[in-house]
Amino acid sequence: MSLGLIWAAVGVYLLLGLAIAFLSRSESTNGARVDMSGFFLGNRQMNGFVSALSYSATTYSAFMMVGLAGLTYAGGVGAFGFEIVYFAGVSLVAIFGPKFWAVGKRFGYVTPSEMLGHRYQDRRVAIVTALASCLFLIPYAAVQLAGVGYLLAGMSEGAITFTTGVVVAALLAILFSFIAGIRSVMWTDSLQALFMIVASTLVALLVVQSLGGFAALFDTLATDHPQSLTVPGPGLFNLTTFVGLTIPWFFFSLSNPQVSQRLFMPASLKSMRQMLIGFLVFGFVYTLVSVLWGFSALVAFPGLDQSDLATPTLLASEHVPPILGVIVMVGILAAAVSTIDSIMLTLSSMLSRDVYAQLAPGASDARQLRVGKWVLPVIALLALMFAELQLDLIAVLSVAASTGLVVIVPSIIGAFYWRRGTAGGALASIGGGGLAVIALYATGVTPLGLPPGIWALPVAVTLFVVASLVTRAPSVRAQEFLAAAGR
Amino acid sequence: MNPRRLKWGIWAVVVLCYAVPYALLRDVAHWYGSFLFWGIAGLTIILLNVLMTADFNDRFEE
Repeated sequence: MSLGLIWAAVGVYLLLGLAIAFLSRSESTNGARVDMSGFFLGNRQMNGFVSALSYSATTYSAFMMVGLAGLTYAGGVGAFGFEIVYFAGVSLVAIFGPKFWAVGKRFGYVTPSEMLGHRYQDRRVAIVTALASCLFLIPYAAVQLAGVGYLLAGMSEGAITFTTGVVVAALLAILFSFIAGIRSVMWTDSLQALFMIVASTLVALLVVQSLGGFAALFDTLATDHPQSLTVPGPGLFNLTTFVGLTIPWFFFSLSNPQVSQRLFMPASLKSMRQMLIGFLVFGFVYTLVSVLWGFSALVAFPGLDQSDLATPTLLASEHVPPILGVIVMVGILAAAVSTIDSIMLTLSSMLSRDVYAQLAPGASDARQLRVGKWVLPVIALLALMFAELQLDLIAVLSVAASTGLVVIVPSIIGAFYWRRGTAGGALASIGGGGLAVIALYATGVTPLGLPPGIWALPVAVTLFVVASLVTRAPSVRAQEFLAAAGR
Repeated sequence: MNPRRLKWGIWAVVVLCYAVPYALLRDVAHWYGSFLFWGIAGLTIILLNVLMTADFNDRFEE
């Protein structure tokens, strides 16, 4: 693919993104009296349509069109099941969304970790939750950056270096989050989401068509690769692995702060409903498209050495015209950037609100915002550095991200459903559970032959319950909180 | 029906997402096997969410 075409496409994407980011500026994010809630939550006035597209773009990273297609290529239809179980987990928004929204309005929370610290009446809970989120999500963002580096280097056959790709993605993420905080993130996310879904669907339809249509595609699979249509199929998705992968991802909408923070933002519950349903429709189509992509690569190029090459090989093949190939490339770039900028923005709000402000109790809202804005590029630089260094530990933390964050879930569910839950329980489950997950991934140990994804939640629940029962519950605060949550 | 009760429907779909493909459809190597099942499960999840959030316009509103 020509270098000129690649840079032209990236240039058009950059200009469009910047134009939308500047247009999204408003009194709440860039006015004279902008505060934390304005910059990081859009003053809790976000509308449903933009929220839906942004939630989709934030949730779906470069993993879908590269990783999920690759998983389908290697493991067959089990990859589809894995995504559908995750997808079902987003229904937790219908259960917890109104509660988050109500307590957020009542107590003025800016971050989910602030909510936990207040609910359990202990600022250490907020600090530990914020730091655990950074520990797992910065490496995750670094891997997304590295993905862009490989993508641009691969598509330009090395003419664009890995470092150039990583720096371009980091700069885009900083610009999109810095210009107007959550408003520029959400509006550029919306543009990127439309780009992702239109480009990927168009190309998937084109590829399936060139392979003879849906019926021919599935006939070939049934004849030449019958195992790809069943589980455990080729073996990648045996039941233990499937359960280990799906449990942490089922709770993604609660455990990952870059999406759970979104539950504070809708202008009304009607907007939240639009966000949820809009996301589900988007997610279903995007999942189907990514899976069809993997199946198409399996039929067209059955002998690839690495399954991650399924998407690049398909894009470089005669099945995809170069102009569409470059559009999909920008779609994948957009998927990565829209995930990274949301993570960066959420983490900077957590570090300023839950770490800095907790350690410097007198810090005004305006000062917290200034610190948050300084932290934003620092997080980007850290992610960039990790992407460049390619350390083994970073890879471990990135893989462990979804499992590591699931240890926060007992404290969140307990906050809304269990009056007896305490700060001691939250600290034990998040701190102890998080360390246990890192130890399991780092050593490769699988107790009873079960992967960390299966262990993380029961370990965290046990720690939460036992430590809560031996410590004193903040009963007045619990009462206030549950009343505000509508229970 | 109280929309909140529908959350049990979600749990049921999730359990079936493990049980049916791994127990009943493991030998059906066609598009109408696990692929169709998980596709229908996804659409059911969307429908259940539409119904579960039907009263979001007034519930909890100030």
